[in-house]
Amino acid sequence: MNDVWTSYDSKNFVLEGISLSIDRGTNYAIVGQSGSGKSTLLKLMNGMMIPSKGTIKIDYVTPNMNNKKFKKMLHTIGYIPQSLGLIKNITVLENILIGALPRLNTIQSLLKRFPEHEIQEAKRIISLVGLSGKEERKAYMLSGGEKRRVAIARALMQKPTILLADEIVSELDHVTAHEIMNLIADAQKRMNLTAIMVHHDMQIALEFANRVAVIKEGHKILEIGIEGDSIVDFQTGNINTEEIMEMYADDTKK
Amino acid sequence: MTPKNNLVIGIIIALVVVASYNVDANPIEFAEGLPNLAIVVEEMLLVEPKYIPTALWAMLETIQMAFIGTVVGTVIALPLSMFAARNLNSKYVYAPVRALLAAIRTFPSILWAILFVIMVGLGTFAGVLAIVMYTIGFVAKLQYEAIEAIDPDPVDAVSSIGVSKWQLIRYVVIPESASHLLSQILYMFEYNVRQTSILGLVGAGGIGFYIINYIKFFEYGKAAVFMLVVLAAVLFIDWVSVKIRDKYIVKSQHGMEVTTK
Ligand SMILES: Nc1ncnc2c1ncn2[C@@H]1O[C@H](COP(=O)(O)OP(=O)(O)O)[C@@H](O)[C@H]1O
Ligand SMILES: [Mg+2]
Repeated sequence: MNDVWTSYDSKNFVLEGISLSIDRGTNYAIVGQSGSGKSTLLKLMNGMMIPSKGTIKIDYVTPNMNNKKFKKMLHTIGYIPQSLGLIKNITVLENILIGALPRLNTIQSLLKRFPEHEIQEAKRIISLVGLSGKEERKAYMLSGGEKRRVAIARALMQKPTILLADEIVSELDHVTAHEIMNLIADAQKRMNLTAIMVHHDMQIALEFANRVAVIKEGHKILEIGIEGDSIVDFQTGNINTEEIMEMYADDTKK
Repeated sequence: MTPKNNLVIGIIIALVVVASYNVDANPIEFAEGLPNLAIVVEEMLLVEPKYIPTALWAMLETIQMAFIGTVVGTVIALPLSMFAARNLNSKYVYAPVRALLAAIRTFPSILWAILFVIMVGLGTFAGVLAIVMYTIGFVAKLQYEAIEAIDPDPVDAVSSIGVSKWQLIRYVVIPESASHLLSQILYMFEYNVRQTSILGLVGAGGIGFYIINYIKFFEYGKAAVFMLVVLAAVLFIDWVSVKIRDKYIVKSQHGMEVTTK
């Protein structure tokens, strides 16, 4: 992603010259205050929005929902929006099977005939995310944490290579947030996923990511790498944990 | 109350007075007509119970006509509503479909009935066709509005899996708008029973045929039997659909309290 500018109204830019480069298999975090442009950044990566200026490439393809080639790539890009986007009146299992739709032919999908192996796969993922026994619950009956597990399971059902998640744990209590993040971290390692997760809490990002970009008012103000306990500032090359900790403490205050 | 509001109310009152004058709606004439109503009511009280079985059969026929009309109309309306929804189609698709639906809706059912009586002759079939047309116009409109009002988040989330448009409709749009659909069909059915009850006035079958004929021959006692049966049937259907709605719809409309931002 190089020098990307975006605007919703062609007057005010929401992102002003963001450049990011994310390697395959990274657990990447984007942190920033509310309104800093984090969600917009994710929508650019899955082609729901296109930049006003600058270029974005995922494996040499430009994200754009209306582009046939990219639409195919979307099949294996899991995207969990801030609002999760579950379908309220259908069951957990049905919500999760939606992730398998790209693998179905027209007749199977119109008749809701999911092949047996897809149903088995969905059940495997359901137990993986800790929802066993709740397959037949309607989505609107679930708790906040459970809804997030369903959204994650739907994304995993896509057999993703990239996972985009927008503030998936922001509204959860500390314990549940950690359970959910551990779940994603496990899946990320096992499936060698590229996880790109947006947070507004720096602490969570530092705990789980290998790399963290801090966004403020549409600019990237900091990008750090984490190896074990040491934190490296990529812009200055400094390895100064305390200083960086102080910086983000200011920048991510609500 | 602001001066502006007063002005608006004043204008509305003035328009009502002018319009009443133009259409000859005279409160004094209404008052003078009340004794006539008394006569009619008095004669109606001479209800002739031996007509009840006939009236019940005629009502059953009416309900069947309304039922077929509602089901067939809805089945045709649903695909049309998919093409008329702005959030699923380009302008070149939804604009003509909407225009067609608007044209269908400009006709009240009684005009459709007259048209079909001319086309297929007197009888219940013309009435059913009239109800089908009316139902298409309204259910399609209610439904495309429901589709346009669905939560955009699931639509976005599932579109971003790269699914086809048909899959999106099948797995997101239909489930998300289904609860509205059931209540709309129930409402439409109730309304169609009432409408079908008067289609007999133009010879398109149903219980209205009896009512208009008895009234023509001043047999108010007989007409009253049929009218009471209509009243009872409509109340009964209202009551049943309230029950159905409580059972199936209220439950499924508890939203997801996922709050954003
Ligand atoms: N659909 C939209 N239309 C117009 N402005 C928007 C829209 N979505 C977001 N914005 C604006 O873009 C800015 C960044 O929003 P967003 O990317 O959602 O921030 P974040 O996810 O970091 O809270 C905000 O100022 C917001 O008001
Ligand atoms: Mg956001």
